[in-house]
Amino acid sequence: MQKRFVELRERLLRAGVAPRHVRRYLDELMDHVADLREEEVCAGKTAIDAEKAAVERLGPVDQLARAMTARPELRAWSARAPWAVFSVGPVALLGGLYLVACILLWTGWQIFLPGAKTPFVPIHGVAVIYFGVGRMLYWGGPVLVGWALGLVAARQRSSVAWLAAGLALLAFIGGAAQVSAFGPVAPGVPGHVHLWLTWGATPEETMGRLGSAGAIYCFAALPYVIWKWKRRPVSAS
Amino acid sequence: MAGHETNPNFMNGVPELLILRLLAEQEMYGYEIVQAIRERTGEVVAVGEGVVYPVLHGLEHEGALRSRRKTVQGRSRIYYSLTAMGKRRLARMTATWANLAAVIGNVLGGRHAEAIR
Repeated sequence: MQKRFVELRERLLRAGVAPRHVRRYLDELMDHVADLREEEVCAGKTAIDAEKAAVERLGPVDQLARAMTARPELRAWSARAPWAVFSVGPVALLGGLYLVACILLWTGWQIFLPGAKTPFVPIHGVAVIYFGVGRMLYWGGPVLVGWALGLVAARQRSSVAWLAAGLALLAFIGGAAQVSAFGPVAPGVPGHVHLWLTWGATPEETMGRLGSAGAIYCFAALPYVIWKWKRRPVSAS
Repeated sequence: MAGHETNPNFMNGVPELLILRLLAEQEMYGYEIVQAIRERTGEVVAVGEGVVYPVLHGLEHEGALRSRRKTVQGRSRIYYSLTAMGKRRLARMTATWANLAAVIGNVLGGRHAEAIR
């Protein structure tokens, strides 16, 4: 991609234009330049002069960027409502994953361990996979949602502050989440599963949960940090 | 090159109207639209070569246009066409424009013009 189009892409993304509009705009502009070049060649210009004339006719990067950023309807949600994308959205998504994890835990308990007082017992066979999916969602949920958040932030060149806040929220919830199962209180009555947030009753438990929150934050931020590091400007030395 | 200059002061809403009118006839891609506007208006109205696309994206976002990728002579392009909403919008804008042109014509050609002379 030509340098001016790379510059235009960065400017549009930083201005909050939705990535799909940016991508299509650049595709269309590159096609347009090719058409203009063809037209200029047909008019008798050399390939170099035709290229120069085509780029000039397309307009300066400033003008091309302004035309797009002047249209608020083409802005991404992460630019229109970053608070929703980086706080409400991930919390809702994590809540959904936790709900699925709890449903898997409860249904697995009823299917594979009928009559057991708790689902937290040694299991075998298909039950390992069934409960494993639930466990993966429960333990990996905050990190998975964090990665998705990092992807959104990277694609849309969002502010690092918003991403940091979103990841902190996920780490807070992930570190404090606790699942418990309560056995049947009477014969024929199924047990139930609870999920709540707690920072622990003892300083040791609180420290452990803080450690979990820190680990979640670091793992969730890792892909974004690597991406940022790879894109860092390389110094001349 | 005069034909390649844009005239922004009187252009508010004009590119949109012209684009809708052209696309009412047939589906077109960006370059074709810019060329068609230039040819049909005798280069009096010149839409910026690159800035036609945000207008197209905006109109599509509002439901007035639809787009599809089509490969013609080995080149893949995005063609735009009018939707039912776009047709209604074109009718509304055409009526508004005709009204406005008539009123301004009256002012310029009527007693105000005589006063200027």
